[in-house]
Amino acid sequence: MKAKTEAKRLAILEAAGEVFREVGFERASMSDIRARIGGSKATLYNYFPSKEKLFFEVMHQAKTHELEEAAGSLNAEAEDLKQELLRFGQKFLTVLYSPEAIAVRHLAIAESRRSDSGKLSFEHAVVPVEKRVAEFLKKAIKRGQLRTADAKIVAIHLLSLLESELLQRVLLGVLDSVKPEVINGAVRRAVEVFLSGYQRR
Amino acid sequence: MQVKKSDIKRQAILETAYRLFRTQGFDKTSMAEITAQVGGSKATVYSHFPSKEELFVECMMAALENYMAGTLRHLDSSRTEPRIALLNFGGSVLNFICSPEQLEVRRLIIAEAARSGTGKLFFDKITALRAQLSAFLAACMASGSLRRADPELAAEQLGAMLEAEMLEPLLLQVREGSPDERETARAARRAVDAFLRAYAPSSPHALRRELATH
Repeated sequence: MKAKTEAKRLAILEAAGEVFREVGFERASMSDIRARIGGSKATLYNYFPSKEKLFFEVMHQAKTHELEEAAGSLNAEAEDLKQELLRFGQKFLTVLYSPEAIAVRHLAIAESRRSDSGKLSFEHAVVPVEKRVAEFLKKAIKRGQLRTADAKIVAIHLLSLLESELLQRVLLGVLDSVKPEVINGAVRRAVEVFLSGYQRR
Repeated sequence: MQVKKSDIKRQAILETAYRLFRTQGFDKTSMAEITAQVGGSKATVYSHFPSKEELFVECMMAALENYMAGTLRHLDSSRTEPRIALLNFGGSVLNFICSPEQLEVRRLIIAEAARSGTGKLFFDKITALRAQLSAFLAACMASGSLRRADPELAAEQLGAMLEAEMLEPLLLQVREGSPDERETARAARRAVDAFLRAYAPSSPHALRRELATH
């Protein structure tokens, strides 16, 4: 068997991404994916041992990186905490509520009983973001900008507030594309209530 | 109290539909199959539920609506201090929605809602349930125990914070087994306390009084 190459791996991920988006996780088959890129099924399995693994990789490549980037961009040195949270919130929700990320999240929940896709998405997309945000908030607590509290819980509360106006609507398909102005309003209201709850007085 | 015959029939349809939808999913379950298992005519089933979509939504939401009817009694601002009322309410709701069966129902709703066109029906039901929380918060705002704000938005935010610590890992099967009551009570306490701070009345005097009671 030929040595694995990064170019081939990326080509597979791209083809798989198309197939998943077109027919959904359940109906997508390894054969469909192989048909798009050519080559043998054995080669495909050599790169990705299962459809679940491939699904996760596609998702990871497409969105997790962007989410982590948004969380990583939080600057603890920023003078204005509110501005920094607004900027992050906007970036975070813009990625999380893109059509691809919504589709992936839908699948992760719907498929979580049948495969480990839910677990994978949690470990690779949710946990690192929460961790980054918690690190940032811990510094804000240290600097006296926020009241003393468990930074991990504070991070979870912030993230849930950011999603509070959108998550249910999107998961139920009531809202299928989230416009920038909707995100702007949701972020502003979430950050304001978050700061009222956690700012040091 | 006498139970009407048609109520018994309605209940039987809901239970059969619930079982079939849960084992087969929305697409593979037909009104004909539900009728066959309940007995009686299709016309009777349709007289209770005008469409498969509505029956799906009704039977998936029945347990939650039932439970909420009982637990909403915690939200009586004339009898209980708001914090205590919210803690009891929040803990109780969390215990219920984190149960294995309710998690399974929620996964199925999320998997089917957008595809089957029932999302709006589910959303309306959830909104109606949340309206009772909004009404309670509005009463607290009117009496001055919370600052004046949009009670519907506040209810959405409180709901999100209550679920924040536990729901996602449970839904995604990262965590097996449901949290016990101590754990849900703790999550509810953290959410309710952060929420009450965020919505504390703005006068320094009222704020001090509010914090002193915690």
